[in-house]
Amino acid sequence: MNVGLTWRLLKGGGRRGMLGTWLTLGAVAVSTALLLFAVAVDFAFAARADRGAWRNPVAAGSRPAVAIEASRHDYVRGREITVVDLAALPGRSPEPPPGLPRFPAPGEVWLSPALAGLADRLPAAELAARYPKRAGVLGDEGLVHPDELIVVAGRAPDAPELTAARSSDWIVGSQPVKVASLAGEPTEDAEGYQVLGLIASVLMVVPLLVFGGAAARLTVARRDQRLAALRLVGATPGQVVAMTVAEAVIVAFAGALAGAVAYALAVPLLTRVRIDGGPWFVADLWPHPLVMAGTVVAVPLLTGLSAVAGLRRVVVSPLGVAKRETPPGMRWVRLLALVAVLVAVPVVSRGDSVGLIAVVIGLAFLSINLVGPWVVGLIGRITAASARRPARLLAGRRLVDDPRSAWRTVSGVALTGFVAGFLGLLSPGTLAGTQDTGHLRVSAPAGQAATVAQEARDRLKRAGVGAAVTTRKDVVVIALKDATPITDEDARRRALDGAPAQAAPAALDRARTALTGLVPGRTPTTQADDEYFGGQILGDIAVGTVVVLSVSFLVAIASAGITAASSVLDRRQTYALLRLAGTPLEVLDRARRAETLIPLAVMGGGAILVGAFCGVPFMITDPNLTGLVTLIVCVAAGFAGVVGAGALSRPLLRSVTADPAPRPD
Amino acid sequence: MNDVLAGRALTKRFGQTVALAGVDMAVRPGEAVAIMGPSGSGKSTLLHCLAGIMRPDSGEVRLEGTRIDDMGERRRSALRRTRFGFVFQFGQLLPELPADENVALPLMLGGVTRAEAVRRGREWFAPLGLGGMEARRPGELSGGQAQRVAIARALVTKPAVVFADEPTGALDQTTGHDTMRLLVEATKHNGASLIVVTHDPGVAGWCDRTVEVRDGVLLAAGARA
Repeated sequence: MNVGLTWRLLKGGGRRGMLGTWLTLGAVAVSTALLLFAVAVDFAFAARADRGAWRNPVAAGSRPAVAIEASRHDYVRGREITVVDLAALPGRSPEPPPGLPRFPAPGEVWLSPALAGLADRLPAAELAARYPKRAGVLGDEGLVHPDELIVVAGRAPDAPELTAARSSDWIVGSQPVKVASLAGEPTEDAEGYQVLGLIASVLMVVPLLVFGGAAARLTVARRDQRLAALRLVGATPGQVVAMTVAEAVIVAFAGALAGAVAYALAVPLLTRVRIDGGPWFVADLWPHPLVMAGTVVAVPLLTGLSAVAGLRRVVVSPLGVAKRETPPGMRWVRLLALVAVLVAVPVVSRGDSVGLIAVVIGLAFLSINLVGPWVVGLIGRITAASARRPARLLAGRRLVDDPRSAWRTVSGVALTGFVAGFLGLLSPGTLAGTQDTGHLRVSAPAGQAATVAQEARDRLKRAGVGAAVTTRKDVVVIALKDATPITDEDARRRALDGAPAQAAPAALDRARTALTGLVPGRTPTTQADDEYFGGQILGDIAVGTVVVLSVSFLVAIASAGITAASSVLDRRQTYALLRLAGTPLEVLDRARRAETLIPLAVMGGGAILVGAFCGVPFMITDPNLTGLVTLIVCVAAGFAGVVGAGALSRPLLRSVTADPAPRPD
Repeated sequence: MNDVLAGRALTKRFGQTVALAGVDMAVRPGEAVAIMGPSGSGKSTLLHCLAGIMRPDSGEVRLEGTRIDDMGERRRSALRRTRFGFVFQFGQLLPELPADENVALPLMLGGVTRAEAVRRGREWFAPLGLGGMEARRPGELSGGQAQRVAIARALVTKPAVVFADEPTGALDQTTGHDTMRLLVEATKHNGASLIVVTHDPGVAGWCDRTVEVRDGVLLAAGARA
């Protein structure tokens, strides 16, 4: 009975009632789509970590070893190639690594599709000649991302590549290890990316939940008078609650389905975001069906719960809504919650666990959300007390009257301000690298530097590459001729091999190819190659910052637009009567703007400061210009977005006040 | 004596429904006129056309000799703010503002400073029996008290005409009786005219004369005995 009546009331809500319903549905759809993205990010990084684990060997230990595995990095055209050397131990038949149909035989190499394509496109002397015996192409299940450059080389167990000592630095690669299987374990950088992914998820999810809650309250805000009337005519609290839940859940379920479809349509675009060297497989960003189903079910349920919370006043007292009384003051204990978190952040941040970071961010978020309405109420009292013109007086009184509603309008940008403040400090600048590609260096086995240098000269001469080869202790340095000197003083100061220079990419790759296997298990690298990982992770943090801020902005602006439109619908009787009594539309619009902008300025600024405060313990580099610019752009875009979203509801305001007396009586 | 407000040959249609079919109506300075008629007769439409809220399809409305129905929305809006006052059945007070600021708002909209507007607004409270209720919000007032605040707000700008649409419709008989007495007395004391739309003969009895609208036509006009 309740559901049937709810459905009839929902359908019979009239044009404006239906507009409100569509707004709620839209808000839930945006929330669901972005929530799926925030969740998918974690699964995507986990999937990458799992797929890449086989290149990170785990020593067999007490288990019987079946193969030897080592890995290192090579480079082409400024991109990184992962080189995995594999050898089956005598008498053993190890399982092939993921993506290979069989275990590679000694001498043969398997290339990833992207590397194979590149090898076919570039002259053989620049890349393909490094892999003379290509046996096939790796399948996707062995790749971290579709554009990954990787080569799997089969070796004999006693091949020099698997017996010579290598660098112990995990960034450079891994030592030859006897393994019991090729299961491996996620690499440290993969785990690092998972941590960053988790932080990004938390930064995105909390504003989303707040937004979703606001969307649910929209339903209630439009319905509370009608439901109060139902209470007045004898509906029981249970019936009112059931009808509220039914309505919120029906609308939210439709919104959640729409959001899931929107996310599905957006996945192909999202896969193009390049992180950790490449784009994504569609499957990575496609949440598990159970997660998808869980989200589509959980969002409506949470919306229903939020709606019930918003209806407490109606249920407790049928007159609670019908009569507008002075609202109880917001309790200052809310402020205590924020102060407690601010005191706790520097203390608990001494730990470095991922969970801790997530908890700190989550708590800070929630406390901002808790203290927000209290501060909005305070701002309202100050605004009303100091108002000289009607618009500011109206704005101030409305803020005092319903600070929660005003907070819902600005909470999105305020929480985005927190994210911007947090990331603004955390986001490191570009690495001050030398960009030196004019010199290749490789460590020779002890006492063999001169021999290796001579071999290098011979190979380069045969390949027609002009270079001067020298030795420095056990390091062989190859200075490419015709490289352009780098004049940057900072780069010159950091350069390891004399005056830094930039070689032509083709000449550099010819030299690399000629020198392949010069020292078994080691790759001649430039200083720019050695700076590759640092530059990549800093670049990825910058990309992640932009992604998180973009999502937060979408939430903030959608939130501001929807709540502004909803506010016009909720107050349409008041607005209509004000216009009827001769109040100019501009005054009403100014009041609306002031009602949003005043708390926005205070809360946005406050949230940025709190975000920056919470970010300080996690800073890995000094604050930088990029972070500051990101912050300023964020604030400017946030303000412009909210003002723009609010302005979009002006035609609605004009429409609801155009004919204040439509009755043909 | 010249009419303060006059409508001539007013017509208004809503789709197929004829709300006004050539109505003539005039109000003299200081006069209180009741417009009566059953639901759907067109009495509220007549009030809205006379008040410049709604434009008639044809005919004209003049305030103190100046035609107002052909003015743009901005000028009509300014006119409503400065020359007219409004009292409605319910909902006309802003729930967020205390009673004194509700009364002061029309003055502030007209450019009077807030302190002066509130001071002048408060002068109306004691005469209307609202002393001590200046800081109360509408939700904390009884129906009769809220209507008296609305009367103060309608009169604070010293309007030429006060329009009241079912001003006692949400009140019990005794309170409605008191409210009408205050409305008529305060309006006249202020030198303004009053046009009241009602279907209650008791309310109409407080006015100088009554006109009846039926099917968009003014049927009869009678002066109070």
